[in-house]
Amino acid sequence: MTPAGSSPDGARGGLSAAWKWGAIPAAAVVSGVFAPILYLVLRAAEADPSEVLQFVFRPRHFWLLWNTLVLSVGVLVVGALIATPLAWLTTRSDLPGKPILTVLAVLPLAIPGYVMAYALLALTGPTGVVAQFTGLVIPRPSGYTGALIALSLYLYPYLFLNLQAALRAADPSIEESARALGCNAWGAFFRVTLPQLRPAMQSASLMVLLHVLSDFGVVSLMRYETFSYALYLLTTTSFDRVYSSWVALIMLAMAAAILVAEARLLRGLRVHRTARGTPRSGQMAELGFWWGPIWAALVVLAMVAVVLPVVAITYWTTQGPLSEWRELLRALGASLQASIPAAVLAPVLALPLVYVSVRQPSRVSRFMERIAYFGYATPPLAFGLAVTFFAIGFEQLLARLGIKQGATPWLYQTLLMLVLAYTIHFMAEAVGPIRAALYQAPPRLSESARALGYGPMASFLRVTLPLIRPGLLAAVALVFLSAMKELPLTLMLAPNDFQTLAMGVWDKTREALFAEAAPFALLIVAVSFCFVVVLLTAERPQVAAAPGPAAAPEREAATPPAEGDGDASLGLAPAS
Amino acid sequence: MRLLHVLAVAMSLCVVTHALAQQGGTLTLYSGRSKTLVEPLIQQFEEASGVDVQVRFGPDAQHIATLQEEGAASPADVFWANTAGALAAASNAGLLTKLPQDVLDKPAAFVPSSGLWTPVTTRFRVLAFNTRAVKESDLPESVLDLPKLTQLKGRIGWTPTYSSFQDFITAMRIEHGDAKAKEWLRAMQALEPKAYPSNPPMIEALAAGEVDVVLTNHYYIIRWRAAHEAQKDTVQAYHFAPDDVGNLALVTGAGVLRRGGQNPAAMRFVEFLLSKQAQEFAAERGHEYPVVPGATLPDRLMPLDAALKLGPDLDLERLRELEGTLTLLREVGLQ
Repeated sequence: MTPAGSSPDGARGGLSAAWKWGAIPAAAVVSGVFAPILYLVLRAAEADPSEVLQFVFRPRHFWLLWNTLVLSVGVLVVGALIATPLAWLTTRSDLPGKPILTVLAVLPLAIPGYVMAYALLALTGPTGVVAQFTGLVIPRPSGYTGALIALSLYLYPYLFLNLQAALRAADPSIEESARALGCNAWGAFFRVTLPQLRPAMQSASLMVLLHVLSDFGVVSLMRYETFSYALYLLTTTSFDRVYSSWVALIMLAMAAAILVAEARLLRGLRVHRTARGTPRSGQMAELGFWWGPIWAALVVLAMVAVVLPVVAITYWTTQGPLSEWRELLRALGASLQASIPAAVLAPVLALPLVYVSVRQPSRVSRFMERIAYFGYATPPLAFGLAVTFFAIGFEQLLARLGIKQGATPWLYQTLLMLVLAYTIHFMAEAVGPIRAALYQAPPRLSESARALGYGPMASFLRVTLPLIRPGLLAAVALVFLSAMKELPLTLMLAPNDFQTLAMGVWDKTREALFAEAAPFALLIVAVSFCFVVVLLTAERPQVAAAPGPAAAPEREAATPPAEGDGDASLGLAPAS
Repeated sequence: MRLLHVLAVAMSLCVVTHALAQQGGTLTLYSGRSKTLVEPLIQQFEEASGVDVQVRFGPDAQHIATLQEEGAASPADVFWANTAGALAAASNAGLLTKLPQDVLDKPAAFVPSSGLWTPVTTRFRVLAFNTRAVKESDLPESVLDLPKLTQLKGRIGWTPTYSSFQDFITAMRIEHGDAKAKEWLRAMQALEPKAYPSNPPMIEALAAGEVDVVLTNHYYIIRWRAAHEAQKDTVQAYHFAPDDVGNLALVTGAGVLRRGGQNPAAMRFVEFLLSKQAQEFAAERGHEYPVVPGATLPDRLMPLDAALKLGPDLDLERLRELEGTLTLLREVGLQ
């Protein structure tokens, strides 16, 4: 690690180009994120000022604040306790079956939080499935414990994925230097390896915290009152848009506080290697006879986090008449139609923002990157209403300008609107992995490419892009998985007569038709499982990288092209 | 890129089919009722009328918020809600247009004084009991006397977080006052009732003998009995005396939105919902009671005129006063 210092020379031209390339996505993101906030402020301003203070500072809100904080911290701690050993075991140990383990560790992402919570409720208690089959009564988790268990099991993969990617990319020679300088193995881990994981840990923690803040599905089923639950109650019981805007603004203020804190922790951090040469894979720690007990513990974890919910849904599926398969297929098509474009668009928009903020850290660039998280932190109901407000305004503007004839909307309640809403809302999911990847991609390499005569774009495409490919893929996967499960925004913004799988689950469960809802949930899980597996196989070259001094294949792509080895097709290569 | 092409083609196909289907006019419906229960009915209307119905399914509260946000630009013609409280909120917000008197004359009960929406169907709160453990003659005339049955200590089931239960408490507050409602909740708690997260597992528990009586909605009992033909007589519904708050009617209804006032298809749709065909469908499919006399009901439902006399006579629009109920439930530790 080098101490924070002036930004490296040689990349200035590239950076201003990056700004140029970043301008459009930046504008899109900023307007997409600020629109809901503007909307909330407009609505909140309708409130009676004398009542606002009383409302905002009522004792109940402090209690909700406390509940939300305690849950967030709890989930973060439990999640980290699960994810850190898992990430280390799958990258730095000789544990057998690491690829399977990696898949198992990521799979809970495929299971919607509400399904996880419902499975926990259905399995436990005196009437639960476990009691029916074994007579063993497991107390039904509820309140804080229930929410903590369900959310930790559901969210730890965020931490795991980020940590694992960071561990893989971390340069072991730094650790080895520490060992050579007299550190023992634990010391090297805590003093060298862990600090290297900080950007990954922080961006993942950010996601976890923001997710807990906005989670509704789990906390409502577990009956644990956080702000988002209170917001829901407020909107359903009093149909009140003004005061619910205040609650949403309080939630955004909490998100802002978290974001500022994280940005401060990240300032001046630089963890990539600065030396010449190619990093190689580290030595694998030998677990010896420990691998048995470790596997046993992991099997228990997988049982609770993956197998039990899946078994529960499968059990329900067999309990009822299989829903009409055509309805299922249509819903699958709808889910894919909305999720795939968003999964591509969000990382594409996030990349320039993150690139500028990592390579040319400044107040403005950092701010732009943080902005993406606000979209995630805005409560879906408020976000959806804001989109409605502005899309309707857009339609009216078009009609007034005479651009649009007739009443058929161009944007409002179209698939495009849903995709754009997903993109803005889930962009934060893309920022984390891309940022972590960029932090670890040495700028020296692209600088060399520039020095060798490549244009900024060519050096980015040929050098940086291959280096951050795993991060980009992870970004696509995370956005896709989230979009597949998303419910409140989809309900509000989807086109008419459009039913996604998640909407199908919702529609049936609200009539308490669990058996008929189960196939929809099962299909969400199945498609997400496939996606996770495909994704992890795509990254396989890294997973399978042999220990030892040989350079990992991914790294070879990163070596700057030799002089004259220009890419003529880009037209940017220098003449030799 | 291939994906983009597919998307583009799919979207233009949507536009084309949409344009082709417009011959009989179009109707945009915001439905708070679930797709599962109402979609076949909407298809029947489309076939009979030639009108293309565009539906949005979502929770009542979401529709109301969206409608307010859309304002005059709202594409929606009809709001079909799951609860009377939501319709009350919609009429309060000035979203609905007045219905003609001949439409309002059709239902035999629950028509709001505002005339801005019409009831479509109703469900009832009910006490379900296990016939092997409890004799019907031992059950009280009023739900208010349920806590007096001390022999049922630990044998009562309820769903305190479920919305219909909360509506029932709201109705109790309206009918008997907050103090009485609180007293009832405390007295019930003294009998240590078992709380269930939702109704179906509670009915299962009732049949399995885990509890002897449960406070639920009538259609959950019918559904369970239909699924367990052999043991169906284990679980039976008990209605309190007519007008008791324990028989609260949970009314669904529909209103024509401002834009729908100019769309003839909107009124046709509302009239269709009150037709014999639609009313009988609701009874058949969702086990719900019609509100228009003359529909033939399946045996598992009670005669309509008797059913419509069950519920307490209260202004259903006041069921939107849920906030006080949640505060009350919180005070006694049930929320």
